[in-house]
Amino acid sequence: MSDLPDRAPPEPTAPARRFGAPAAGGIPRMETVRVTAPDLERRAAIARSHRRLTVGIIGFVVLYVAVAAKLTDATILQPMLPSKALIATNVPKLPPRQSAFAATPAALPMLGHTHRAPIIDRNGEILAISVPMATAYADPRQIADPKHAAEKLATVLPNLNVAAMTARLSSNLQFVYVARDITPEQEIRINDLGIPGVGFRETEVRRYPLGRVAAQVLGNVDRAGHGDMGIEAYFDKRLLSDPRPLRLSLDVRVQAVVRDVLAHAFHEFKPIGAVGIVMNVDTGEVLASVSLPDYNANNFANSTPAERFNRAVQGAYEPGSILKLETLSMALNKGIIHPWDEFDAIHPIHVGRFTITDYEGKHRWLYLPEVLVYSSNLGASHIALAVGGTDQRAWLRRVGMFSRLGIQLPEAGSPMFQPASQWGPATVMTVGFGEGITEPPMQIVRGAATIVNGGLQHPATLLAVPLGSEVPGTRVMKDSTSVVMRKMMRLVVADGTGMAANVPGYFVGGKTGTAEKIGANGYHLHVNVSAFICAFPMNAPKYAVYVMLDAPHGTKATGYFSTAGEVSAPAAGEIIARIAPMLGLLPATGAEAQAIDAQLAMALKPQPPPGVAPDVIPFQPMPPNAVGVAPASVPTSPSAYGIAPPLPPPPPNATAIAPPPPPPPPPPGAAGAGQRRADASRTAQTVALR
Amino acid sequence: MSLFEKRLLRPEAAGLGAKLWRVSWLYVLLLCLLAGVGYLAQYSASGGSISPYAGPHVLRFGFALLLMLGVAMIDIRFIARMAWLGYAMGLVLLAAVLKFGNVGNGARRWLALGSFQWQPSEMMKIVLVLALAAWFRRASWERMGNPAFLVPPLLAVLLPVGLILKEPNLGTAVIVAAIGGVVFLGAGLRWWKVALLAGTLAVAAPIVYQHLHAYQKSRIMIFLHPSRDPLGAGYNIIQSKIALGSGGVWGKGFLQGTQGQLNFLPEKQTDFIFTILAEQFGLAGSYAVLGLLMLITFAGLVVALRCRHQFGRLVALGLTMNFFCYVFVNLAMVMGLIPVGGVPLPLVSHGGSAMLMVMIGCGILMSVHVHRDVEFDDAAEAA
Repeated sequence: MSDLPDRAPPEPTAPARRFGAPAAGGIPRMETVRVTAPDLERRAAIARSHRRLTVGIIGFVVLYVAVAAKLTDATILQPMLPSKALIATNVPKLPPRQSAFAATPAALPMLGHTHRAPIIDRNGEILAISVPMATAYADPRQIADPKHAAEKLATVLPNLNVAAMTARLSSNLQFVYVARDITPEQEIRINDLGIPGVGFRETEVRRYPLGRVAAQVLGNVDRAGHGDMGIEAYFDKRLLSDPRPLRLSLDVRVQAVVRDVLAHAFHEFKPIGAVGIVMNVDTGEVLASVSLPDYNANNFANSTPAERFNRAVQGAYEPGSILKLETLSMALNKGIIHPWDEFDAIHPIHVGRFTITDYEGKHRWLYLPEVLVYSSNLGASHIALAVGGTDQRAWLRRVGMFSRLGIQLPEAGSPMFQPASQWGPATVMTVGFGEGITEPPMQIVRGAATIVNGGLQHPATLLAVPLGSEVPGTRVMKDSTSVVMRKMMRLVVADGTGMAANVPGYFVGGKTGTAEKIGANGYHLHVNVSAFICAFPMNAPKYAVYVMLDAPHGTKATGYFSTAGEVSAPAAGEIIARIAPMLGLLPATGAEAQAIDAQLAMALKPQPPPGVAPDVIPFQPMPPNAVGVAPASVPTSPSAYGIAPPLPPPPPNATAIAPPPPPPPPPPGAAGAGQRRADASRTAQTVALR
Repeated sequence: MSLFEKRLLRPEAAGLGAKLWRVSWLYVLLLCLLAGVGYLAQYSASGGSISPYAGPHVLRFGFALLLMLGVAMIDIRFIARMAWLGYAMGLVLLAAVLKFGNVGNGARRWLALGSFQWQPSEMMKIVLVLALAAWFRRASWERMGNPAFLVPPLLAVLLPVGLILKEPNLGTAVIVAAIGGVVFLGAGLRWWKVALLAGTLAVAAPIVYQHLHAYQKSRIMIFLHPSRDPLGAGYNIIQSKIALGSGGVWGKGFLQGTQGQLNFLPEKQTDFIFTILAEQFGLAGSYAVLGLLMLITFAGLVVALRCRHQFGRLVALGLTMNFFCYVFVNLAMVMGLIPVGGVPLPLVSHGGSAMLMVMIGCGILMSVHVHRDVEFDDAAEAA
């Protein structure tokens, strides 16, 4: 700075020299200069100020030297050199080009680098797969000519709106999207355009090659690449951490058939929803789980909440008469009823303001198989009462009907039922025939699978169970109970409400369940949830099939009935006829079929086996004022039905082979109701049970 | 000195031509050299092209240079009179940015004027220097010892610091406080008070750390352990260190760098521009740039030393400190000496508003130099 051109006046300490003061040698300057006190003060201030500035200079120098030293250190002394790994992570990656994509399991490892593992069905068909894509973005501040840039981009992106893109690129933002989910080829071509300020991000797009098939089960993946529904959500961590495909228990062939059949039923009966489930009864594997209406999984954004709703697991429906399977099983398993027992289906049961009657009742005493075949509410009520509320609750809890559905879906629903304190006789009876409790359909299927497979309970699963790693299952009922239940279920299809589901050679056995829908003012008389559960072949069940139509409308062909036997059972039969061959089950014919028929045969009105007295009275009567009272009458005792009186345990010897104890006298007021009677006119169609 | 003498020698009597003659053209030359270095760096950051960075850089500098010379012509006494007004405006703008500012990178610190965005905190650095200098210019040694006299300027520093912390922008708040502190020191703050302040800060730092935002904590942690997260926030520092290291003594040659050319360096045209130079021109080139920056800093201190009024000295000191803070924080950040802070390298980094503010500061510095001999007519002001 010292060489700055400077025409400043000389230093103030020597002004005299310039303005005509005597030259040197005259009067000494010291004597002509008067130094005033303020002047001294000012000079001291300047000196102090200069000292401070000097300190400042030293400080700056020190800091500059520190920077220079660090620079030397980072450049020469300890240079950090680029490691190969660091460079590798930054070299732009392009997926290997492939001429064609073969959707076979063998081709899976060739799909390039994606973060999310594919999902396949039990046979290796691809259900969901990630496709590497790129997203192009721009920093508008770096775009010199937005219009020109937009026009160049439009040469690669044919759907680009040039005017809109010009406006976006002219904004003051630091980041705008140019195009989402473009292919690697488009990425290269945009890159080749050489527009400064345009960059790319690696993305991947989840594709569901089968579209609507299993859409709700698979769920979807959000923009951030995380599952937010279905399998994608439940196995999000697994899919992101393990590149191997996730193998589901679903069989897309079965899934497609079930969906096809349901879609036809949907078209015909115009329900608001439909569910179809196929389960392997020996492993709990779900082969098909369909919920209609559904949506195209590749167009999730345009789906409606109703379409995303997975009725098979999220829905909670009254199982209706299907739950009689559980009621009969628990009573049979307990040994308090037998196929040859009869039940009063004549007298309606009045409990409080409810009256229990039979739909298309027979108005006579019914044998146990008849209770199931004719779906007698009265019979089921008497049986449920015989079991008693405590044991009924214990059984339902044991078979999982009181717990949240255990399945690998975040949407898994929970049952709704009365608390123990409200579980009076009325609840015992209504739950006995499937009302006053709601269950997700999948739970019903699981319960039926346990009943038909010999009494072994498996959790319902959407993951394929590899051959050889099947788990034995938990025994919840005797094999003998399962045998009787299978025979009676076979009767339902052969002779009863489920006849429409019969497929020759497959020995289908099942149970219909028609629950009236509950509205604002109680049950709707003609709006039903019509469900049908069945399994096949009943001599050695392999698969359970469930079809449910929510609020179907009867047609001329069904006589304008919309009950399960008319609308759901035919669909189940069609499903079985179509899927059984592809599952490796061929229909039995000829002598083999006759042998199986004989094995499954059971009389509608069975006789007790020889040596068993028919007049066992296995269960307790109703509380006197809970049964047979007029609807208008008000119970006087809280024990009437609000809280069930503790039922005495069943007689320990009340088994089929036990000698009959003397019958207790019927209590007053309960005449006839809830008791079995010995029927002299029993037919001779008795078949040995074992 | 007689009254006549004073009148005769008052520079403003000399007119615009004389004022221009008094401008330190060496200083202007140094600034032009620095901007030239910036041009080279931007040309390289654009991948050997004038657009999108290098061309605008030169145009902006040309405009900013004219503005600087215009500011240099303003009488320093006028600037002194306007100091507090400017300070008040700065405060209002800081408050406005909290209310209306644009959010960028998680902080609300930009104010948009049409298409032009700038940070009022940059302007605050300058007006704070002016305001403090105006307060301290008549402070005697005795008055500097009076704590009551120190309270208003202390508040004048703490108010903007608090507002900037609220944006939140920890780095700029620290820089503003440091600039204010240097003006205090230049004005003659007693050393024991300085020591007391430093001690207080040392105690307060851990407490402040508790209240930092997560990204600020992460910057500090990453600064301490950059390799812990090599592809995350530590990525900048590691890549910039690699760029420095790969340059060697003589560098790879102009446009021959890999780190900058291959886009390894994020924000290479702004905060990390120095690494582009270091990689291509090596340690020698880095030293040259560092020397140039040092020369400009010391030229500012020479202006302070040669100035005959306290206001000018403090302004020159404060503005030099402002310039130095840009340089030091940026270089230290690039070399991993301090946490990443988003401070540009003046006249080299891409970005118009920062360049404009730096050049306005240089213009005021030049005004101090042009008007280094003026007398503040305190009596007239008091009347």
